[in-house]
Amino acid sequence: MAASLVSAAALAAALIVAGTLFTRRARLLVRLLQMGKPPGIERSDAVPDRVRQEAVVVLGQRKLLQRALPGVMHALIFWGFIVLFPTIVMAMIAIVDREATLPWLGGQEWFALLSDVFAVLVLVGVATALWIRKVVRPARFEGSHLGEADLILALISAIVITLLLWHASRVALGLNEYDAGAAPMANALSGLFGDGSVTEVLERVFVWAHVLLILGFLAYLPHSKHLHIMSAAVNVYFGRTRARGRLEPLQFDEEAPEEDMRFGIGTVEDLTWKQMMDAFSCTECGRCQDACPAYATDKRLSPKLLIMGVRDHLFAEGPKALAAHETDGAYDGPPIAGTSVPEESIWDCVTCGACVRECPVNIEHIDHIVDLRRHLVMVDSSFPAEAEPMLRDVERQSNPWGKPQAERAAWAEGLGVRVLEPGDPVPEILYWVGCAASFDERAQTSARSTAKLLQAAGVDFAILGPAEACNGDPARRMGNEYVFQAYAEQNVETLNEAGVRRIVASCPHCFNTLANEYPDFGGRYEVVHHSELLAELVREGRLSPAASEQAITYHDSCYLARHNDVLEAPRELAAVVGQPIEMARSGRRTFCCGAGGAHMWMEERAKPINEERVREAAATGAETLAVACPFCTVMLDDGVKGTGGDMRVADVATLLAEAVESGGGAGSGAVSRD
Amino acid sequence: MVLVFVEHERAELDELSLQALTFARGYAGGEPVDAVVAGEGAAEAAGALGAHGVATVHVAEHDALADGYAPQAWARAVAQLAERLAPAAVIAAGSDRGHELAAHAAVMTGGALAANCVAATPGEPALVTRQRWGGSLLEEARLHGPMKLLTVAAHAVEAQPAAGGEAAVEAFTPELRPEDLLVRVSERVDTSTGGISLADAPVVVSGGRGVGSAEGFAALEELAGLLGGVVGCSRAVTMAGWRPHTDQVGQTGTKISPDIYIPCGISGATQHMAGCKGAKKVLAINNDPEAPIMAGADYAVIGDVNEVVPAITAELRRVQEG
Repeated sequence: MAASLVSAAALAAALIVAGTLFTRRARLLVRLLQMGKPPGIERSDAVPDRVRQEAVVVLGQRKLLQRALPGVMHALIFWGFIVLFPTIVMAMIAIVDREATLPWLGGQEWFALLSDVFAVLVLVGVATALWIRKVVRPARFEGSHLGEADLILALISAIVITLLLWHASRVALGLNEYDAGAAPMANALSGLFGDGSVTEVLERVFVWAHVLLILGFLAYLPHSKHLHIMSAAVNVYFGRTRARGRLEPLQFDEEAPEEDMRFGIGTVEDLTWKQMMDAFSCTECGRCQDACPAYATDKRLSPKLLIMGVRDHLFAEGPKALAAHETDGAYDGPPIAGTSVPEESIWDCVTCGACVRECPVNIEHIDHIVDLRRHLVMVDSSFPAEAEPMLRDVERQSNPWGKPQAERAAWAEGLGVRVLEPGDPVPEILYWVGCAASFDERAQTSARSTAKLLQAAGVDFAILGPAEACNGDPARRMGNEYVFQAYAEQNVETLNEAGVRRIVASCPHCFNTLANEYPDFGGRYEVVHHSELLAELVREGRLSPAASEQAITYHDSCYLARHNDVLEAPRELAAVVGQPIEMARSGRRTFCCGAGGAHMWMEERAKPINEERVREAAATGAETLAVACPFCTVMLDDGVKGTGGDMRVADVATLLAEAVESGGGAGSGAVSRD
Repeated sequence: MVLVFVEHERAELDELSLQALTFARGYAGGEPVDAVVAGEGAAEAAGALGAHGVATVHVAEHDALADGYAPQAWARAVAQLAERLAPAAVIAAGSDRGHELAAHAAVMTGGALAANCVAATPGEPALVTRQRWGGSLLEEARLHGPMKLLTVAAHAVEAQPAAGGEAAVEAFTPELRPEDLLVRVSERVDTSTGGISLADAPVVVSGGRGVGSAEGFAALEELAGLLGGVVGCSRAVTMAGWRPHTDQVGQTGTKISPDIYIPCGISGATQHMAGCKGAKKVLAINNDPEAPIMAGADYAVIGDVNEVVPAITAELRRVQEG
C-alpha cells in the first residue's frame, strides 16, 4: 500500500513536470496564434468537407501514401500510435497498482493482439524510416534537421520496445489479464524472463521507463518539428476544401479598423494564424522541394526552406512582438523577406501549386509567397525590375504587353464573331478570350480555332471585345493586389451588366480567376475551360473530328489540372484527334511550363523550366505536344526551339479544328452559323 | 536656408540638378538656397552656380573625394554639412546618385527622406507630393523632424535660370571614416557601344536565335558599327547566354525607339514586339516568311541571316568607300 502511494506520488510529480514543460511551450504557441491576423478567406465553413478532408488526409494518410515506401512507413507509425494510445493509460494505472488495468479494454484479447501487432509494425516503420534516411538518403531532406529526426525515431523505438518488454515481463509474471496466446510477440519475449523477483523488478523498470519516455516525448514535442502530430490535424481541417487556385483577398476597405489592415507579410505581426499553423505543421519532409519546378532547375527557392524560414522567424520574433504588445509598445522588428526568407526565393515561385499538393499536412505555401510578394511590391516597391513594364501595362493598357485595347478583337477579324454591345441579347455562353489569345500571335491560333469550332457546332456565343480587360492574374500573382482588385471590380461590373451567366475561357489563368476569385468581388458565373466545352460538343456529336495517326502527348496546365481538377476533357480531345501518350509527370502531378506566377514577364535564372519540361515531352516520342493554355503554348514552343527539337506545340482547340476539318466538319444535326 | 546637392560631370552641371535647384528656390520661398558640390571639377562647377540662384556653394574638399563618386563618403560630407548648417531641407535630384546619396545621408543624420517629390510645402510637418509606381501613382506624405531630405522627381519642374550674382564659395573638409570609402569609382571604362544606349540609339541591329551562336553576333556588330547604331538581341539569346541581359530588346528588357530597326533571325514573339513597337522603320531579316516579325516589318529580306547580313555589310562598305 505504501509502495503504491509512493509510486502514485512519483507519477504525479513526473506528470506535473512534463505537463508544465509542455504547457509553457503550448501557451506560447497559442498566444502566437492569437496574435495572428484573420485569413482572407473563410476557414470554418463547409464542415462536412473539412471532416472528410480530416478523414482522408489525416486518418487515411492519403497524401503520404502518394509515395509508397515512405507513405507505408509513416502510416504504420501513425496508426500504431493511435492503436497504442490506451496502453499509455494502462501503464500509468499499472504504475500505481500493478494488478490493475483499464476496465473492460484491458482484458480484451483482440486489443491485446492489436497492440502487440501494431507495436511490432511501429518498429518495422521506424526501421524503414532509418533505412530511408541512412541508406536511400533522398535529396528532399537537403536542408532539413536530420539529427532531430534521428532523436525522434530513437524515442519512438524506445517507447515501443519498453512497451513490448513490459508486456512480456507481465506475461512471465502471470499478470496479464488476457490469454497470453493473444499477444504472440509479448508471449515469445516472456521466455526471456523467469517468474522470480528479478522479473518483478524488471517489470517495474520497464513500465516506468515506458511512461517516463512518453512524458519526455510530450515535453519535447512542442519544441521540435515533431509538433506536427498536434498541429497537422488542425492545419488540415482549416485548409482549403475547394477552389484551391483562389488566393486570399486583402481588405482595402477604408472603413476597416487599422489593426485588421495588412498589405501581405512584412513582419511577424502580419502573419495570419493559418500561416502560423502552416509553420508549426512543417515536418521538413521535403516532398514540396522534390516537386518544385523552381528547385528542380537550380533556383534559390525551396518551398520547404521557405516555410522553415517563416517558422524560425516566428519563433525568434514572435515572443518579442508579444512582449512589445504587453508593454503597450509597438513592435518594430525586422521584415521576414530578406532576413529569414531570401527575397530571390520569393520571386522564383511559379505558383504551380505542386508543393501544396504534395504536402502531407496541407501547408499552403502559395499564400505565404504571394503575401510576401504583396508587401515587397505594394509597400517596399521592391521587385524584379524587368516586371515593371508588365505591371504598368496591365494598369494602363488593360493587358500585360501594352497593346492598344481597341485591337483586342483583331484576332477575330473576318470570322463573323459577335462582339457583345450594351443592350444586346445575352448569348448562351460568353467567350472570354483573355489577353494572350487576343494579342499573342502564337496563342491567337487557338482563339481562332475555338471560335470556328463553336460556330461549326452551332453554339450561340459572343465576345466582349474591347470591353474585356485583363483579369488581373499577372498583377495579383506578382503581388500587386491593388491593381488586381481594380480589374476584378471592373470586369465583374462589365459581366454583370451584360447579364452573363455562362463563360468559356481559353486561358486557364483567366478561368481560375473568373471561376474561383471573382465570386469574392460579386461575380458568380458558371465558368468552363474551352477544352471542357469542346469535349462536350464532341460527346454530343456536334463536332465530328477524324483521328490521325500522330502521337500526341498532352501537357497539363497547372491552373487546369492541379488548381482546378480539369484533367479528362483535354485528354478526351487528344484521344479523338490522335494517339495519346502520357508523360512521366502528368495530371495533378504535372510539371509547370515556367510561366505561372507572373513569370511570363520575369527573366529566368539558372536552368530554364520550359526546356526541362520539353525534354520530358520529347522522351515520350510524341510528334505533337498538346497544350490547353496560351502561356504553356509560348513557353513550350520556345522550349522546343531552345532544345533544338522539332515537336509541334499546339493547343487542343487547334488540333481539334484540324481534325474536324479533315473529318468533314460539324456533326449531324448541327447548324452552322455561316 | 535650403541646401541642394548638385551633381556635375567634370564641372558640367547636371540637368536634373538644375531642376532640383529650381524646385529648391520654390521651396525656400525667398530664403537663401545653398549648394554642395564634390568630386573632380567641383571648384569650377561652384563658379557657375551663381547664375542658378545659389547664395553659397560649399565645396567638399578631401583627398578621398577628388577621385570620383563614392556614395557613402559624399553622403557623409553632405550629412556633416547639413548637421552644421541645419537647413530647412536637403534637396537632391531624383537621379540614381541623388537617390543613393540622399538615402545614405538620411540614415547618417537620422532624417526623414521623401524620394521623387513633385511638389513640397515647407512647415512642421512638411507636406510633399511624390511619385510612386514609376509615376502612375501620386502619394501625399508628411515629413516630420528637424532633418528633412527630398529628392525631386525627374522633369517634375523645368530648370529655370535665376537672376543672381556670384555665389560665395566656401570650402569645407568632411571627416570621413574608413568604411565610407568601401564603395567608390575605381575606374571609368567606355562601353563598347561608344556611349550610345540601346534605348536612345537611332539604329538598332538585333539578333535572335537565328543568328546561331554568340560568335555570329560579330557580323551584326559590324553592320551596326557602319550604320552608327548598336546591337540588341531577343530574350532567347540572353537565355542562351550569348549576350548580356542589358542588350535585350523586349517587354522584360529595353524598350527601344530607333529610326531604323533591323531584327535578324528574330521570329517576333509578343514579348519582343512589346519592346520595339516604337521603331519608325523595321527591316526584318528572317528565313521564315511566316514569322510574326514580318507582319510588323516595313521591309523584309527572306534568307539566312548569316548570308544576308555580311552581304549588306559588304555593299555598305562599297558605297561608303566608293
